Amino acid sequence: MKPAPFDYCRPSTVTEALEALSSAESSRVLAGGQSLVPAMNFRLTDVSLLVDINRIEGLASVDCDPGGVTVGAAATQTQVLDHDGAASVVSGLRAALRHVGHLQIRNRGTVCGSLAHADPAAELPALAVASDAVIAVSGPDGERRIDAADFFIGAFWTALDDGELITEVRFPAEPPGSMTIVDEISRRAGDFAVAGLVATVEAEGGAVRGARLVGFGLGGVPTRLEAAEAAIRDWAPDHPADTLAEAVMADTADAFDDIHATSWYRREAVAALTVRAARRALAAEEAA
Amino acid sequence: MSLDIDSHIRHSTRHIGRSVPRREDRGPLTGRGRYVADIKIAGMLEVVFVRSVEAHARIVSIDTSEALAVEGVRAVFTAADLADVKTFPDYIPYIGPVRQRPLGTGTVRYVGTPYAAVVADDRYIAEDAAALVAAGTTYEPLPTVADLDQALAPGAPKLHDHWENNCSFDVAPHKPEVDRAFEQADHTFTETYVSQRQTGLPMETRGVVADITDGTLTVWSSTQSPHMVRSTVALMLGMPEPQVRVVHPTIGGGFGTKTHIYPEDIVVPWIARRLDRPARWIEDRMENLVASVHAREQRHEVEVAYDDDGTIRGVRCASMLDMGSGEIFMPGTAPVFVTNACITGGYDFPNMQARTIGVVTNKTPSGAYRGFGIPEGAFVMERIIDRVARLTGTDRVELRRRMLVRPGQTPYVMHGGGRLDSGSHTESFERGVEMAQPALERARARYAGDPDVRVGVGYSNYVEPTSPSYHLTTGHWGGGDAATVRVDPDGSVRVAAGLSAFGQGAETTAAQLAADALGVSPEEVTVVLGDTERAPYGLGSWGSRGAMMLTGSVLLASERLMDKARAIAAHMLEAAEADIVLTDGAFHVAGSDQPSVSWAEVGTAAWIRYVDLPDGMEPGLETSGYFHPENLQHQLDDTGKINAAASWSNGTHIGVVSVRVSTGEVRIEDYVVVHDCGTVINPALVEGQVHGGVAQGIAGAMYEHFQYDPDTANPRFASFMDYLVPTCAEVPHMEVDHFESPAPEQPLGVKGCGEGGTVGPPAVVAGAVSDALSEWGVDLTECPVTPVAVRAAIRSAEAAGTGADS
Repeated sequence: MKPAPFDYCRPSTVTEALEALSSAESSRVLAGGQSLVPAMNFRLTDVSLLVDINRIEGLASVDCDPGGVTVGAAATQTQVLDHDGAASVVSGLRAALRHVGHLQIRNRGTVCGSLAHADPAAELPALAVASDAVIAVSGPDGERRIDAADFFIGAFWTALDDGELITEVRFPAEPPGSMTIVDEISRRAGDFAVAGLVATVEAEGGAVRGARLVGFGLGGVPTRLEAAEAAIRDWAPDHPADTLAEAVMADTADAFDDIHATSWYRREAVAALTVRAARRALAAEEAA
Repeated sequence: MSLDIDSHIRHSTRHIGRSVPRREDRGPLTGRGRYVADIKIAGMLEVVFVRSVEAHARIVSIDTSEALAVEGVRAVFTAADLADVKTFPDYIPYIGPVRQRPLGTGTVRYVGTPYAAVVADDRYIAEDAAALVAAGTTYEPLPTVADLDQALAPGAPKLHDHWENNCSFDVAPHKPEVDRAFEQADHTFTETYVSQRQTGLPMETRGVVADITDGTLTVWSSTQSPHMVRSTVALMLGMPEPQVRVVHPTIGGGFGTKTHIYPEDIVVPWIARRLDRPARWIEDRMENLVASVHAREQRHEVEVAYDDDGTIRGVRCASMLDMGSGEIFMPGTAPVFVTNACITGGYDFPNMQARTIGVVTNKTPSGAYRGFGIPEGAFVMERIIDRVARLTGTDRVELRRRMLVRPGQTPYVMHGGGRLDSGSHTESFERGVEMAQPALERARARYAGDPDVRVGVGYSNYVEPTSPSYHLTTGHWGGGDAATVRVDPDGSVRVAAGLSAFGQGAETTAAQLAADALGVSPEEVTVVLGDTERAPYGLGSWGSRGAMMLTGSVLLASERLMDKARAIAAHMLEAAEADIVLTDGAFHVAGSDQPSVSWAEVGTAAWIRYVDLPDGMEPGLETSGYFHPENLQHQLDDTGKINAAASWSNGTHIGVVSVRVSTGEVRIEDYVVVHDCGTVINPALVEGQVHGGVAQGIAGAMYEHFQYDPDTANPRFASFMDYLVPTCAEVPHMEVDHFESPAPEQPLGVKGCGEGGTVGPPAVVAGAVSDALSEWGVDLTECPVTPVAVRAAIRSAEAAGTGADS
């Protein structure tokens, strides 16, 4: 569990970082290192140059305004989790981050790093897709902005090209009258999810008026549950849960098997989480 | 054995029975523990083992040239270089001999087999070179066997060419009375119960540092048994034992895994000798998961005969152990014998016919893990009782009451010869039921409004054999231990024992014992453990033996020392020896506390001022006690039975769980333990053992599971992402109560307590979840109880149409 030899640099500007990233064949960005460094120690990842972005001025900021929350590439998960302003504009951030690892991991791990790593069972990529986040990227050919829906291509595989660096991610404010629920089944507290759900639910008058539903831990990328989004419209607690669950099952036919759970279990679990989220949103609306 | 520590001592404070604070924690808790990995010796080289990535293969060739060319690499050794090292002994006559070599040669039989050792200036360089050795290795893959069925199939690939098949042993007793029970019973059923593969997983992995100076080889090893390592290293390297010193420094847990003597324990000292340089190897966690023994993988095929009223008439059980490749010293064969010996738990159930089978597969060798086979058997028995209760409509608590060993029934001889010398089997269960009732009511109230949640309760009544014979496990060593007690000229006390300690609190325990036996305070007692040069020969710590072995050996040595001290004091006081008593550290004539002599004066006389000694008395004030429990058997009697433990602890575990029907999530709401380990020396230490044991039991009940690919026998785990160890968030609060049924034949009535905690949880969790889901007829037969397993059980019940909701 010792890494193979690699070089390390710690640039102070984005420009220098981009130059460094282009200077070596297998260069990688080091932000929190919570997934990358173990992978290097296991010799699962071939890294010739680590480019540490933690000392780049201004990259660790969390900015919020009524229109949304912008999280810099070096901002830690704890920074965002503890940010009351961010939680009031995008409640899903706090809801998702509560499930991410443990305190020690969140103190180092970054929000943008989690997006770049693109673990299929991670909460933040699913939240990004559910909330139509936009990921700002700098690279040798300049800057571009990528919609979260287009960013995740496969397991641990994103739209980032060689030499590109995420500089920040913008989460738009949640629609008024909606709440975001992040719920998951994990084997232990702090584990990656066996299966999970991000649900942004608009409830009014005791029924669900609309919802954005994104599952995770089901396939290579966050899974938009479109049939379930249709089925949940106008759903109320006295409606049968079965139709909603069946819609989720239809949306998740490709869920995978691994040592922690079977495909059918993941599908059933996300179906149960969807019903649970609808009930929770309605209960919250009633209480409010 | 009667050791009376009070006859000549007037204590103002007794220390046995009190929660004397642990003395061994300051180092580890302040970062000042000195583990094997903390040992630095000038010129020390680093060893990395190259391990097989094939589960079963012939090694055709190993090209080490590229590795040797790396700057900083000092040597690369393979099996051929170790021709002068003897093979690990095959001491047990009735199991298949594995003729294990320290490095894999010819055929490798599991992923993780060490077959080469790279020696370099540091670990980074050594790992770079190890990757080159791995790349330079040519294998000829052989067909694999990944589980019991594959291994036992006709024509299955054989692991060991010189065996007839993959079966290491098959011991099948026949009991006519069990046949009769089956003939007479109203009903029978058959079932298969499964316990999954786990490991003890100490926080500190294994490690070895070896150095040879002036002809003496010193080995620092993270082992549970330093003297056994010494004997084995000396034997295999062909050295006289006095020229081998084995030391264990601070140890971060063992849990059975470090009772074994591994290839690295031999190869690292060999390298130090060969290169005449200090060498060290520290196991990393990736290695640890494949290179330290696994345990618990057993399958039990049972037939049960029972009557309409719930009476269980007889059980036939074939217990099959998946031994992995079997290439481990001591062999990992004994736990399944313990499973069968203890399978009837605290129940009066003689009509058990238990067959014991060991099978090799292409997986990491299995061996010892805290509990040592007891949890697997307890799981089977409790699941059988719950099944019979359900089939006959008998109350589960009532059925257990009818079956438990009752007060006055001890000594009770179990079906396999285990002799329950004493215990509180019925009392513990009744107390547990009483304690669990409010917990059950709380849980029911908590979830009354949630239609998705069911609540259930599970039970386990087990026995824990303590201070066992090691002959059955090793075919060689016995079951005693030794201590030396010395009083120095300044009157301070030193106790040295052959036991080892790695978290249990043995140093604190030894100090309490010596303090009461010599009438001093524990602070005045220095304790030395874990060093073959400083302590007498002992077998180390395992098998819940530490407390009993320390009690026997320390008290024996102390009693001898007191006799001599009193003779010296009598001479100095010009009084008769029989009149001398010791009060708060001062010897005086009974009835008058003046004049008196102190321990320092007695110690000074013994070692320095011979003029104060009685005429003709041999100087010195150091005595030894070699303790062997007198009722401990090492071999089967004429009827095939054996009492292989010096005494038997017992306990009851009861757990209340909630189960979320839609997702299969299980939460342990409350956990109750009633525990009886005889006379308690230190209540806080006993509670700590119970808590830690239960946590590991819950790991087995719900989380930890080594899975292998059935087609390739490749591990499907590489890290703690795949092998799920419960954390403080998963382990529930426990409520613990105690009974004290002294062991009638042991000094002070002490029994062991190290393993019982692990025994209950698999049976309790499976029983409680099955109870919670009784409306579906769910009856779990395997661990771990995962969300997927729970949902699968509900689905299959619904598909079979047995469920109320279907």
